[in-house]
Parts: sequence; structure tokens; C-alpha cells
Amino acid sequence: MGANKLTHVAGTAALLIALVILPGHLKYHHQDFIIFLTINVLVVVSYRLMTLTGEWSLIHIVMMGVGAYTSALLSKNLGVSVWLSIPLAGVSAGAVAALLSFPLFRMTQFYFLIGSFAVGEAIRLAWVYFVYPFGGSSGINTIPSPELFTIDFMEPIPYFYLVLAVVTLCLLILHRIENSRIGLTLHAVHWKSPLAESVGVNAWKYRTLAFIIASIFVGVAGALKVHYLGNVTPHQFGVGTMVFVLIWVIVGGYNTFYGPILGAIVLSILDEAFRAFEAIRPAIYGVLLIAAIMFMPRGLESVPGWFRERLFRKTAE
Amino acid sequence: MELFLQSVVNSFIQGGFFSLWAVGLVLVFGVMGVVNFAHGELVMVGAYSIWVLHAQYGLPYIPALCMAVLLVTTIGVLMERFLFRPKREDPLGGLINSLGVLFILQVAAHVVGGTGPAKQVAPPFSGTFVIEEFLRVPYQRLFAVAVSVAALGLLWFFLTRTRLGWSLRAMAQDREAAALQGININRTSMIAIGVSGALAGLAGALMAPMTSIHPHMGHNVIITAFIVTIVGGIGSLSGAVLAAVLYAFLHTFVTAYISGTVATMSGLLIMVLVLIVKPTGIMGKRVSE
Amino acid sequence: MPLLEISKLTKHFGGLTALNDVSFSVDRGEIRGLIGPNGAGKSTMFKNIAGFYTPSAGDILLDGESIRGHAPHEIAGRGVVRTFQETTLFQELSVFQNALVGCHLRARTNIVSAVLGLDGARQRAARQKAAEVLEFMGLSERRDQLASELPLGSQRALAVAIALASSPRLLLMDEPFAGMNPEETRQMMDLTRKVNDSGVTVVLVEHDMKAVMGLCRQITVLNFGTLLTEGSPEEIRNDERVVRAYLGGGHRL
Repeated sequence: MGANKLTHVAGTAALLIALVILPGHLKYHHQDFIIFLTINVLVVVSYRLMTLTGEWSLIHIVMMGVGAYTSALLSKNLGVSVWLSIPLAGVSAGAVAALLSFPLFRMTQFYFLIGSFAVGEAIRLAWVYFVYPFGGSSGINTIPSPELFTIDFMEPIPYFYLVLAVVTLCLLILHRIENSRIGLTLHAVHWKSPLAESVGVNAWKYRTLAFIIASIFVGVAGALKVHYLGNVTPHQFGVGTMVFVLIWVIVGGYNTFYGPILGAIVLSILDEAFRAFEAIRPAIYGVLLIAAIMFMPRGLESVPGWFRERLFRKTAE
Repeated sequence: MELFLQSVVNSFIQGGFFSLWAVGLVLVFGVMGVVNFAHGELVMVGAYSIWVLHAQYGLPYIPALCMAVLLVTTIGVLMERFLFRPKREDPLGGLINSLGVLFILQVAAHVVGGTGPAKQVAPPFSGTFVIEEFLRVPYQRLFAVAVSVAALGLLWFFLTRTRLGWSLRAMAQDREAAALQGININRTSMIAIGVSGALAGLAGALMAPMTSIHPHMGHNVIITAFIVTIVGGIGSLSGAVLAAVLYAFLHTFVTAYISGTVATMSGLLIMVLVLIVKPTGIMGKRVSE
Repeated sequence: MPLLEISKLTKHFGGLTALNDVSFSVDRGEIRGLIGPNGAGKSTMFKNIAGFYTPSAGDILLDGESIRGHAPHEIAGRGVVRTFQETTLFQELSVFQNALVGCHLRARTNIVSAVLGLDGARQRAARQKAAEVLEFMGLSERRDQLASELPLGSQRALAVAIALASSPRLLLMDEPFAGMNPEETRQMMDLTRKVNDSGVTVVLVEHDMKAVMGLCRQITVLNFGTLLTEGSPEEIRNDERVVRAYLGGGHRL
């Protein structure tokens, strides 16, 4: 147990140090890649908090869009400082989630999945339809970057450090939530909701709470993305993107905090490696997804444990 | 007035397609408990088959249509055997597997058809049935409606009048009880997805001459099929057909008078409303506690 | 005033009447047996009391106040906690974590306190309570095992421990002895008495007549959704109607 924890801490520290040193040594194109990857890590970790309650939603990526549009509109149309619009993006995604929880959490399981898909798609179509203020299907362009002293956040390297700082802070908070009393209760809601209710847990309230927290953090992720890209379109938040999030989480393994992060990193790097085969990349994803479900139901995160077990068995013999 | 009458006719034609899409999805969900997200891609494969066999290689339309149905049925059966059956106790696993298939079929379509603009297939039945000067129905569309109705009628006969159909319905009602009564779950699931695939392939093949064919056309199909399935009541085939026709009217009229985006949006919102107010759908049965 | 009073309770499912005009009351400190052949409505009664069903008619009074139609978690908040028919546990959590979930009502916290760690005192109190109930149920040695790894007797004991962790006034036990061998049954009976001695009123639904007769001074019999009779184990055992009801249901007293 102790050794395991030590490995995790050491691994996390090594990863962080690598991330701090690395960007300066990368090509421009790879700097882009690592910024989006870091943002995606926040997307999958916040999604996992939602899945703790046993509900799989298809609206997560649309909540990311809510954050993205909020921050874009605030900073561009209302002249709000980007430093303020990013947290406000989280707040607005959380608020939208709180509103949506009333219809959505009248459903559970399959119905929730489909219901969340329908609501998400309807929101996305609203962005397409209402040219004012959302810009229709071409979205919003020339969204400002953050400004601080003389640092140029249009450049990838400063922006990367900003993203790294924000995402690290968010992950720390999410990690603390999961390991707190609230995390335990979310687990309890997942496994046997009637049992949890019978000892006084308001399951509805905890499902809603998980949905709101997940939305706040993914809203922040959306804002981070939008101020780097400089534009936002409804297409970025389609169900296709959502499916990639699902794949990262499932292939990585959703039973631990680290699984989805591992999934996002490994699959994104693989995806980069297959860049040459642009047209068939989705099929590679499809095959990986099926292989993971069929042969590795606990995900990539189970691989180190598997090796460790074999190693210990060897040494024991 | 002209737009109105034309929309009424179009609604019925759309209703036929929507029914074919949704009934297959309902059947698989009812009998196997799997949400097949690749269902739209099965329709897409049906349409591509027509483009390849009929438009590219010159096979006559009707044999090409039969081949399309056969091909999609086979894909469905393979999915059941290798992807859904091992995950029978894990509905999420089955759903995820179907997402994997979705990607693979889309890429397969890319590989077969190449990138570039969407494909068009010239209608094999040319000519137009003129009711009034302003109200015209191309023969191709009449053919599609006739075949859709015939296929649904055949399905209805199969489900209500044959022993196999009876076991399908029994399994849709209660899988465990059906198994206890000696119904072969593997075989029944195979038939369910076979029928679902055949209907999807048929829908794709019938649509091919009237729509633009591209790898992502399944997206629209699955959204419509979800709306129809939920509104009609999960597991209720007659509900699905009724909801398909109603939704076809809504969609056609809103598209004609406002916009296609608003049409889909209102469909989605109606679906959410049904999920909230009556999750069993308009024709669904009460589920006892 | 009785602790629990069931007054003219009726529950329909569609056209089916599962409970029909049933009234009885349970006094503070009792162990009450609720028996009857299969389908008599015992489990339905429990689910109505615990808030999992809403009665079609009639009332449920706890300490003279109606709890009819309240949500399960609200009823738990008032001190009525049930255990489940099958062994229902948080299988993938440790024994200690299971008990800790049971402490929900005393350990509830808000998100800000949870993240900043401002709820330390509360959580310490919850951990102490969880350790106490495990000690009480004789599960201290197993506290770090996964719930799914426990033998049946310990699983049932853990189910009761989870319920006790929420400090109930009234414990509803749904078939706590089902599937147990005589030794396990004897231990579970001792535990039930111990729980009762600590001041918790117990109502149990059970098919194991020996256990019910051994534990309860007062037994309520349901048949076809109606109250058949009430009385001491002696009276119940000699009641013609009860014997007939059970013969119909294929049971022996």
C-alpha cells in the first residue's frame, strides 16, 4: 500500500518535472499538441468524477462548449478580462448543469445516457441556429488571449505553462474531492444506490453535485482551449468528440484517478504517431476500443499492476 | 397550399424511412438490451452498397438492393456473435463495442468511396407520378414507400404469427423468464440483429438514389432513430412506427417552414420531454415494480 | 405512544392489491416479527415504511408524526433504517469504508470544507463511530478486507453494522437469517438481541420460524396483503388460521 502510494507520488512528480522542462525542446507543432493534451487530461478527469456515480453522460463535451462560448463571448463582446472569463466559464457551465439536472436526473442509466445526448445535441444545434450571439456554424473568431505584463500568451510556450498551472490546480482539487467524504459517498451512490439511500444519502443530490462539479471543471477546460485556438465552433463539441473522451476514459480505465489520464496520454501519442494515415485513424481508434473492452476491461491502468504481480510471483518463487 | 400538400406527401415517405431506421434499433434494444450506436452506419453501408454495385459496377438496382440487405445483415450477425454476445452481462460494454464498429464502418466507407464530394446515385425508376401540376411524386419515392410498408408488414406478420417471432417478443418482455422457458437466447438474439440489419440495409439501399451518400450520413439516422424510439416507447414496435410517422410530419413541416436545424432541435426536446414525463413512451407498457 | 404505528395501510400495483387496510403498531424497545407466506406483503410493507414505495392509502406514523411518502433518505434521517433481503453491500469497498458510508448522516459535509479539509473533526467522529459499530458487530479484525471477500455470516453482520452506523431508532431487517446454517443463525440471533439491548427497536421479516419465535415476544402475521393476526409466539403457533395459511404456502411452523 505504502510502496504503491510512493510510486504514484514519484510518478506524478516526474511527469510534472518533464512537462515543465519539455516544451522548450519541442517543435512548434508538438507544442500545440502538448497544450491540447494537457487540456484533454482535465476533460477526462472531470468526466471520471461524473462516472463515479455510475451515470455515463454524453453531454460532458457540450458542457465544455458552454465554458468555451461563455469565455469567448465575455472576453470578446463584453471586454471582460480573460483572467476573469476563464473562471466565469466554469461557473456558467456549472450553472447550466445545475439547471439541466432537473430534467436529466429524473432519468437513470440508459435513459440518462440518451437523455443527456439529446439535451447536449439540442444545445449544440442552438449554437448553430442562433447566429447572434453564437455566430452560427462558423462560430466565433478572433477571441482575445490573456494578457499579463509583457508575456505573450499567443505563443505556445507561455500558454502551455498557464494551462499546466491551471490544470494541475484543478486536478489537485478533483483528487481531493474524490478522496474526501464526498468521494466516498459518490462511490456509494454508484454501487448500491438503495443501500446508500437507506442510510440517509440523498442519491439525487449527489448525482447532481457530481454533474455540476464535472461541468465546472470541463467548462474551465473549454475556456482554456478557446483562448489558445482563438475560435470556437459548434462542430468542436459534437458527439464525435464525446466519443473520443469515452474512449480515453475506458481504454485508460475508469476505476482509478490515474486511468483516464493514462488513456488520454497514451492514445493521443498513438494518434500523433498515426498522423500519416489520416483517413484510417478513426478505425484504429475503433479497433483499440473494442480490443480494450474485450480483453482489458479494467483498462490500461491495470497493466502496471499485472506486471507487478507477475514480478512478485517470480521473486516469491 | 402547394408547399403544404407537398409536405404531407413527403412526410409519409419520410415516415417510412424513419420507421425502418427505428424498428431495427428497437428490436435490438428490446431483445438484446444493447444500444447499437452503429445502427446509422449500417444504413450508411446499405447506401454505399448501392453506389458500388449499381452505380459503379452496373448491377441492376433490384439485385443490388438484395445484395445490400444481405451484406448488412451479415455485418449485424457478426457484431452479435463476436461483440455483443461476449458482453451480454455488460450493457455498457456492448454499447462501447458498437461505437468501435461505428468508427470502423465509417473508415471502410472512406476507403471504398475515397474522399471528395458526397456520392449521388441516379434513380433507377425515372419519371414522376403527377397528381396535380404542383404535386409530384417521383416513382422512385413511391417504390421506396411501397417496399417500406411491405417490409414492415412482413415483420409484423413474422412477430405475431410465427413461433420464432413469438420467442423474440417473449425475450423482449423478460429475458430471464424467456431463458427459463427454454428460449434459445443466442439464436433469438441472432435473429433480432439479423432482422435489424436487414431493415437497416434495406433503408440504406432505398434511400441511396434520393440522398447524398457520405460516410457520416449515419449520424442523422441514429439521432432520428433515438428520437423515434424514445417517443414511441422503448421496446414497442407499433409505438416506433406511430412515432416515426408523427415525427416525420413534424420534421418535414418544420424543415419546410422554418429550418432543418430547428426541426431536429424540436425533435430532441420532445424526446427529452417524453423521457421526463412518460419514460415508457407514448405506446410503452407500464413496467410493474 | 408506540414508536411505529401503521394505520390502515393500502398499496396497489396497477390492479393488484399488495397490502389491504393493514394496521399494527410497534412499541419502543421491541423485537417484532413480521411473518406470513410468500406474497403476503411483508417486503412491500417494509418498502412502504422505509420510503421506497408510497402507500396508496393509510398512514405511517413514527413517534406520532407521519412519514408517509417521504424519500428514503429523509426517513433514514429520522432514524428508520432497513437492511436488504439479499446481502446488499458496497462490494468493492473495504469493510471499514462500508461502515463509514453508514455514518453518512453525521459525516455529511460540503464541497468547500471537503476540499480545504475544514471538516476534520466531523470525519474523525465518523471514523470513530464506524470503528465502534464494527467492534460491536465483531468485525474489527476484518476491517481492511473487501466486503465481497467476507463469508455470508459476516456479510450479514456488516449489513447490520452499516445500518447501525447511522444510529437508527428503528431497524427494519429483511430476512436476516436466509440461507444461514444453524451456527450462523445462532450468532446472528445473539447479535440481533445485542442490537436490541443497545436501545434499537427491531422489526424483522423472516421465514426462519425458530429464529422468529426465539427472538420476538410479539409477532404480526400477514396473509394475502391483510393482517391475519397478532400475538405471542405461543398463540401464533397454536392459531388454526396461521397454520392453514402456511400450509397453503407450503411452509411448516
